[in-house]
Amino acid sequence: MPKTAVNAARHRQIIKAMDNNGRQDQNLNQTQAATDAHVSHEQTLFAEPLFQIGNFTATNSLVNSWLVLVVIVILSLWLRRRISLVPGQLQNGFETLVDGFLGIFDSVTGSRARSLKYFPLVFAFFIFILLSNWMGLLPGIGSIGQIVEHDGHALFVPYFRSGTADLNTTLALAIIGVVVSHIFGVAAIGAWKHLNKFINLEAIIEIPKKVRQDPAVLLVNPIKLFVGLVELIGEAAKLLSLSFRLFGNVFAGEILLASISAILAFGLPLPFMFLEVIVGLVQATIFSMLILAYLTINTSAEEH
Amino acid sequence: MGNIIDLFHVDFKLLLAQMVNFAIVFAVLYFVALKPLLAAMHERSEKIEKSLSDARRIENRLEEAENEYQAKVGEARREAMAIMEKSQAQAEEKRKEILARAKLEIGQAINEEKEKLRREKAKVLTELKKEAGSLVALSLEKILGGQKQPEFDRRIIDKMKK
Repeated sequence: MPKTAVNAARHRQIIKAMDNNGRQDQNLNQTQAATDAHVSHEQTLFAEPLFQIGNFTATNSLVNSWLVLVVIVILSLWLRRRISLVPGQLQNGFETLVDGFLGIFDSVTGSRARSLKYFPLVFAFFIFILLSNWMGLLPGIGSIGQIVEHDGHALFVPYFRSGTADLNTTLALAIIGVVVSHIFGVAAIGAWKHLNKFINLEAIIEIPKKVRQDPAVLLVNPIKLFVGLVELIGEAAKLLSLSFRLFGNVFAGEILLASISAILAFGLPLPFMFLEVIVGLVQATIFSMLILAYLTINTSAEEH
Repeated sequence: MGNIIDLFHVDFKLLLAQMVNFAIVFAVLYFVALKPLLAAMHERSEKIEKSLSDARRIENRLEEAENEYQAKVGEARREAMAIMEKSQAQAEEKRKEILARAKLEIGQAINEEKEKLRREKAKVLTELKKEAGSLVALSLEKILGGQKQPEFDRRIIDKMKK
């Protein structure tokens, strides 16, 4: 059987097993026996389903994203209460962080006004991804869960999984980033100009007007149209590169830590955990800076 | 594509849930933390900028006031010098005038005193001559034995007078 089919089948198995959890309680002895026999701790490419809300299946990565949301809400409220014209230590720390970010943003956007305009969104990406990445490293994430049984096989399903170790999360973030960059682009330079960056109708329209003065437009303008189409493909590539880069790095980190822990759980994973802390920070920075670059490029009138 | 979606279990509902989750994160972060924080930072930097510009304006005004003060002091000094020079000139003129008047008055007083003395002298001389004539007449009368010779007296007195 192909691997994708195996994964999909396993996902269905888990959901079915979760549905049967109530019945499993009644057959506790049977489940316990299966658990004792063999528990599968396989790292899956997808987030495992945890529970159902109507037709919606909540996964362990979604639960982790909710946890990140809760942490951000608490941090925001905590900061909000301490904001004053004469800053305390916490506010000073945040202001230093904000100033540092704005300084870096200026080097990308070229102006403080544009940096301030994009800052809230890009910073939200940064902090959400950073916390998601780092929360995946906390003890208990990926190691505390439940054992579900299906067809005599015991499967370990962790309650939490790093949000960014699920392609649904990273793809959702990438879609938001790219779509918002286009919305900003349309708002900044107008829908027609923005559209012509990708589907260069203007180049085709101006051929009859300019062909007598400059016959080269017959050659150049179709190339412009083609370049626009390449840009359009590039937009799809942005989604894939953003989502897969983040997912790949975080997921690979989890696999690495699991593998190292399997060799020796005490001490040996520490340097790798430190490495993952840095990887988490770097990936959050890369993702947010790329979104900032897309925002800057899409809001510039020049053709690329 | 279908394989990738199956392999990673990309699910539209999960994608939507994650998008909504991030939208809430953004909204909370922006409205609760970042907006007030950026506003406070902006307000503070505006206040600092205003304070700096006020300080610069005050410094300029102080410099202007200092220049004005120096100019006025210079002008006052020049005026004072002019007044002093004028006063000195006037005082000198007055002194000369007073001196001239004093000299004149002293001269007049001396002349008057001289005249007075001259008149006193003349008067005394007249009286003295008169007294001397009487004395001579009396002496002659005694010498001549009491004879009255008015013609002789008169000639003697006249000679004495001369």
